[in-house]
Amino acid sequence: MKRVIVVRSMWMGAILLGVSFVAFVLMRALPGDFVLAAAGAQMLQPDVLDAMRRDLGLDRPLIEQYLSWLGAALHGDFGTSFVTRQPVLHELWPRFLVTLELTLTAAAIALVMGVSTGLASARFRGAADWIVRLYNGFILAVPNFVVGTLIVLLVGLYFPELAVLSYVPFRDDPLGNVSGMFLPAFALALAISVTISENTRAAVLEVSNQDFVMVARAKGLLPRTILWNYLMRNALTPIITVTGLQVATLLGGSILVETIFAIPGMGQYLFDSITSRDYPAIQAIVLVAAACVVFVNTLADIAYAHADARVEA
Amino acid sequence: MKADGQILRVHDLKASIVSRSQTVEAVKGVTFDIKRGESVGFVGESGCGKSVTARAIMRLAPEGTRVDLGGTVQFGGRNLLTVSEAEMRDIRGRRIAMVFQDPLTSLNPVITVGAQIEDILRRHTGLSGHAARERVIELLAQVGIPFPARRVDDYPHQFSGGMRQRVLIAIAISCDPDLLIADEPTTALDVTVQAQILRLLLRLREERGMSLMLITHDFGVVAGMVERVNVMYGGRIVETAGIDEIFRAPAHEYTRALLDAVPRLHRDGVSP
Amino acid sequence: MSEAATTNEPAIAGSRSAVARRARPSAGRLLLGLGLAMLAILVLVTLLAPLIAPYDPSATSPNSLEGSSPQHWLGTDAIGRDVLSRILIGGRTTLFVTFTSVAFALVAGLVLGLVSGYVGSWVDEAIMRVLDVVFAFPVFLLAIAVVAALGPTVPNLILTIAIVYTPAMSRVVRAPVLSVKKWDHVEAARSVGMSEFRIVIRHVLPMVVSPIVVATSLTLAQTIFTVTALSFLGLGPPPPDPNWGGMLADARQFMELAPLTVVGPAVAIVFATLTFIVLANGLREVLDVGSDR
Repeated sequence: MKRVIVVRSMWMGAILLGVSFVAFVLMRALPGDFVLAAAGAQMLQPDVLDAMRRDLGLDRPLIEQYLSWLGAALHGDFGTSFVTRQPVLHELWPRFLVTLELTLTAAAIALVMGVSTGLASARFRGAADWIVRLYNGFILAVPNFVVGTLIVLLVGLYFPELAVLSYVPFRDDPLGNVSGMFLPAFALALAISVTISENTRAAVLEVSNQDFVMVARAKGLLPRTILWNYLMRNALTPIITVTGLQVATLLGGSILVETIFAIPGMGQYLFDSITSRDYPAIQAIVLVAAACVVFVNTLADIAYAHADARVEA
Repeated sequence: MKADGQILRVHDLKASIVSRSQTVEAVKGVTFDIKRGESVGFVGESGCGKSVTARAIMRLAPEGTRVDLGGTVQFGGRNLLTVSEAEMRDIRGRRIAMVFQDPLTSLNPVITVGAQIEDILRRHTGLSGHAARERVIELLAQVGIPFPARRVDDYPHQFSGGMRQRVLIAIAISCDPDLLIADEPTTALDVTVQAQILRLLLRLREERGMSLMLITHDFGVVAGMVERVNVMYGGRIVETAGIDEIFRAPAHEYTRALLDAVPRLHRDGVSP
Repeated sequence: MSEAATTNEPAIAGSRSAVARRARPSAGRLLLGLGLAMLAILVLVTLLAPLIAPYDPSATSPNSLEGSSPQHWLGTDAIGRDVLSRILIGGRTTLFVTFTSVAFALVAGLVLGLVSGYVGSWVDEAIMRVLDVVFAFPVFLLAIAVVAALGPTVPNLILTIAIVYTPAMSRVVRAPVLSVKKWDHVEAARSVGMSEFRIVIRHVLPMVVSPIVVATSLTLAQTIFTVTALSFLGLGPPPPDPNWGGMLADARQFMELAPLTVVGPAVAIVFATLTFIVLANGLREVLDVGSDR
């Protein structure tokens, strides 16, 4: 077990290194750098632009730039935003927390929805099964930004008291913050819940075919005992790991929902940074996003290894 | 319980297994009975319907099995084929218990062995907490698990196959059932362990006066374990006799074939 | 003979599996039929859009933010353009980008998957590693990054999406290739002297068809999401071409006044996505592709 953790962590580091380097190169290699973007419509002389570049260190060789960034990053210094002239970490941290809150809320909602429908589908078969599968199929067809926009529309039309577009920071109003998070989290959760639902159904069905479930029935145990201690406790591991992987993908989806519900999260920040070519910000965000994905995947792998040890032996 | 001492009376039990492509009659009208305290063997090769019969009695038949309600399974004054599922749940584990073939897959991997004995105790006897734990340790000792007090919190994967089968036997006898059905209890175990498990079953049976329905494909297993044998073939009972009689003078040719299949160390005059 | 009863009662109650089993084959055909019908509608509408659109999609008018009326079945948007026409024409662009990019991804995936799977050894390793790097990025983020940097033109969109979905396609192709490679009659064909190329075409390719068809349908559904999402963020085909995602984004400002400006494109997006999902599920059932039933 320890070996698995160590190996996986090393892999994590290697992947993050690779990701940050690729992001670095990608941004530099693409046409139009920050200086041009910042200059915008102004027709500046080339030597003025060059001076700006020298100022920002953009004239040094690529490798040198990357290594100095890396060195600073390992000390927790992600550089200064080109746009705001503030330390990137400063800008990124609160936004990261917001996205984290949104993502975790969405995960919780998706888990509740997905597990209950998947369980119903596996337990009751027949009609319930078909209803759930039709419902799932339909949900998949509605992209999260469409859901989000429709939610905002519906609320605006019929429940104007629920001021949906007002994000409130946690510090100012905890209750308002959480309730404000609910609808956007729901929009994100919908698509994820389908995958969770299907996985729950598969996992429960597979476990219920195992010998020990038959033995549990032969013991005359009550159905709810069998459901929780025998079925769910064994089915939950694959369900949780799949959920984890889905949560990792939420990082890509949050940008749309953040835009719709005017939530100042990491996704919004990335979008803005890309359009304004704010390299240090982009680097940092990509790194953090990748780190989250890799971290979650690694946790999932470890969870699997742990579960396997008990089942295999 | 019947006045003549029979606790289980099966009459004309029929069961078919229905799948997408075909319907197979697995049990074609089986009739037998088991007396209180009696040990009966069911011998036959794979597919002869002996396991389906046992599971049909417990109403635990594999998915897609249809049991014909024309037959009856009389136990405790009721027809088990027609009682409600709730009533059946009260009977399973408490009045009739079952031990299955593969100990490696018959225990829940994520809860401790002690917990798996405790849950059946709690369900049928109302024991809980400290008293239940004591009883669990007692049971583990009775089935021959060394250092039971330490082992009670171990997980199934920490036990060998033979040990796990002992645990499963402990589970089965924990609530003092009237009838224990053992479906190929030793087939998945090493030969040396097989003998141990059979001796254990024998001892427990004698101590508790429990009836035993021993299902196997191996005549060597029933020797010394049962009083009567039902030989099954093709979903039917083709011969039924006392254990000595069967070994001495098997009537049906299939029985003879099964007997011949038992490896012997030396010929001792039993008819080929 | 008295009635039979099913004795199995799984802890998860009530098995109507016998019924479900009988229903399944025709359910697959039902889905497939439905999917094909929806696809036909989609294709027809796209092809005939210029003919059936009642107005020029860019034509502004003073009747802004109107609801449904006999002149404008789906009303008008903030600058008086007919919503229905914009949806019809917008569909053309959206679907054009979708189909083209997936076509590219399909071809690239086929080639890479076939080569990688069939040739094996270091070629396989190399190709797979490179694809893994692309695969590792969240699809959407990668698309945003590239399009934002390169500029949102139609060719850029197509290229980006094609690149993003190629790894998945190659994986789908590679899997059956790997297993077919080991088959006896492939060995036999080779021993008789059949050229590798012909072996690939005659033996390997047919095995790949089923999973690839299903995967393509699913990718089409995902691509519609990506294209519309990108245009929602302003990274889609530039004006004056209407497109569904962009319409949705523009409509947000006044949507309470004219809900149809939102509902219209939303329904269009859902319909198109649903078409491919239904199609994929129908194909999967009918072609009996690899899932454990």
